[in-house]
Amino acid sequence: MSFFEPFNIALQLLFSFDAELYDVIFLSLQVSSTAVITALLLGIPLGAVLAMKQFFGRSAVLVLSKTMLGMPPVVIGLLVYVLISRSGPLGFLDILYTPQAMMLAQFILILPLSIALSHQIFETLHSELNLFFLSLGLGAFKRIFTLLNEARYELVTIAMVCFGRAISEIGAVILVGGNIKYLTRVMTSSIALETSKGNIAFALALGIVLMLIALLINLVSHMLSQTVLKEATNG
Amino acid sequence: MGSNNIVKQELISTRNVTFERSGQALLKDINLSIPSGMITMLLGHNGAGKTLLMQVLHGLLQPSRGEIRSIGRTGQKMVFQKPVMLRRTASQYFDFVCPNCPPDRKQNWFHKAGLMGRTATPARLLSGGEQQKLSLIAALATHPDLLFLDEPCANLDFEAIDFVESELLTARDAGMTIIMSCHSKHQAEKLADYIILMRRGRVAEYAEKEQFFSSPNSDAGKEYLSYN
Repeated sequence: MSFFEPFNIALQLLFSFDAELYDVIFLSLQVSSTAVITALLLGIPLGAVLAMKQFFGRSAVLVLSKTMLGMPPVVIGLLVYVLISRSGPLGFLDILYTPQAMMLAQFILILPLSIALSHQIFETLHSELNLFFLSLGLGAFKRIFTLLNEARYELVTIAMVCFGRAISEIGAVILVGGNIKYLTRVMTSSIALETSKGNIAFALALGIVLMLIALLINLVSHMLSQTVLKEATNG
Repeated sequence: MGSNNIVKQELISTRNVTFERSGQALLKDINLSIPSGMITMLLGHNGAGKTLLMQVLHGLLQPSRGEIRSIGRTGQKMVFQKPVMLRRTASQYFDFVCPNCPPDRKQNWFHKAGLMGRTATPARLLSGGEQQKLSLIAALATHPDLLFLDEPCANLDFEAIDFVESELLTARDAGMTIIMSCHSKHQAEKLADYIILMRRGRVAEYAEKEQFFSSPNSDAGKEYLSYN
């Protein structure tokens, strides 16, 4: 087999819309999207509150979320495994080796990221805009709505970063998902498995998709950061 | 120290207002009576406490000690030294600050400020001077009783300064109370009815303009006027 042959087969698999390949891709997208959306729904408001309000335990939450940023995904997977295994406190949910377990693991993985990044964005915006809002006598609802609107580019970038982290993760999902064909096999776990089986073309096809997703994420993030930079330098 | 007890029809008065940050008193024992319908100009060197005093009077910051009394103050606005621009067009920014301004009046403000061609430009992409004018006309359009202006002419060219000065005098004549800071003695002489000279967080002198510029009561006033 020549060096290029696996690449050719990988492209054929992609363009022939191979059912097994696309099943893995769609499941990955579904698991990671759900985890990201739920993490953002909780993480963004929490980050905003941490940036704007002083309350007891605020520093502890910030330190905890920043510590969790550095936690290896496989350790998070292990913790989730212990939580949802039959004898664990969430064992009654009976979600071990299901996509829901993988969503939960990815949710826990990226929640601290969404909190920490949102906190950073809202802290900066709050310091810039707080006196202006007070001066206008804006109510809480309008203040929050305006802050979200002002942070729109950064929030999309946060979503992209979280999605990138979630979809490229392998340690946690393989522990709690089990890499079961047609049920919990996602791109990263599938790449590891197919490579070990010698099915390099299939792994490469998934690798190409992951690279394209990473490229798209970086492209969107770059375009948004350029917009922000342009505004900052002109403003 | 000059007289701190000027009383016309007062809009705000302060009694022993002190503002501390990290244990350091940045404003000390401020006793003022700000008259209604006048332009009161805050003068002083950098770091004298002009901006801080305006923010405390506006209610953006709470004094550590002392009391601020407002009489009949219903609406107030502040134009900051570095205008705060939102991520929206100049027109939308104006609407945000002055949501109830009729379109023809809004157009008139943009026309007067020389910003007619810039209504659809993102507010953050306007030049510093244009941002300053935009924030000023939006604040003026709300017709506040009390307007705080923190060095409103800092980024402006001569033509724009003329526009701002003329609008401020018109607003004052219409009954608006204006408290502003600036570093131009010439502008203070032109616009102010009263002068507050700040020095190291204290009111060094508070006097009518004519008195301040002809015969200041305090050493700080004499020293300030000795600079070109």
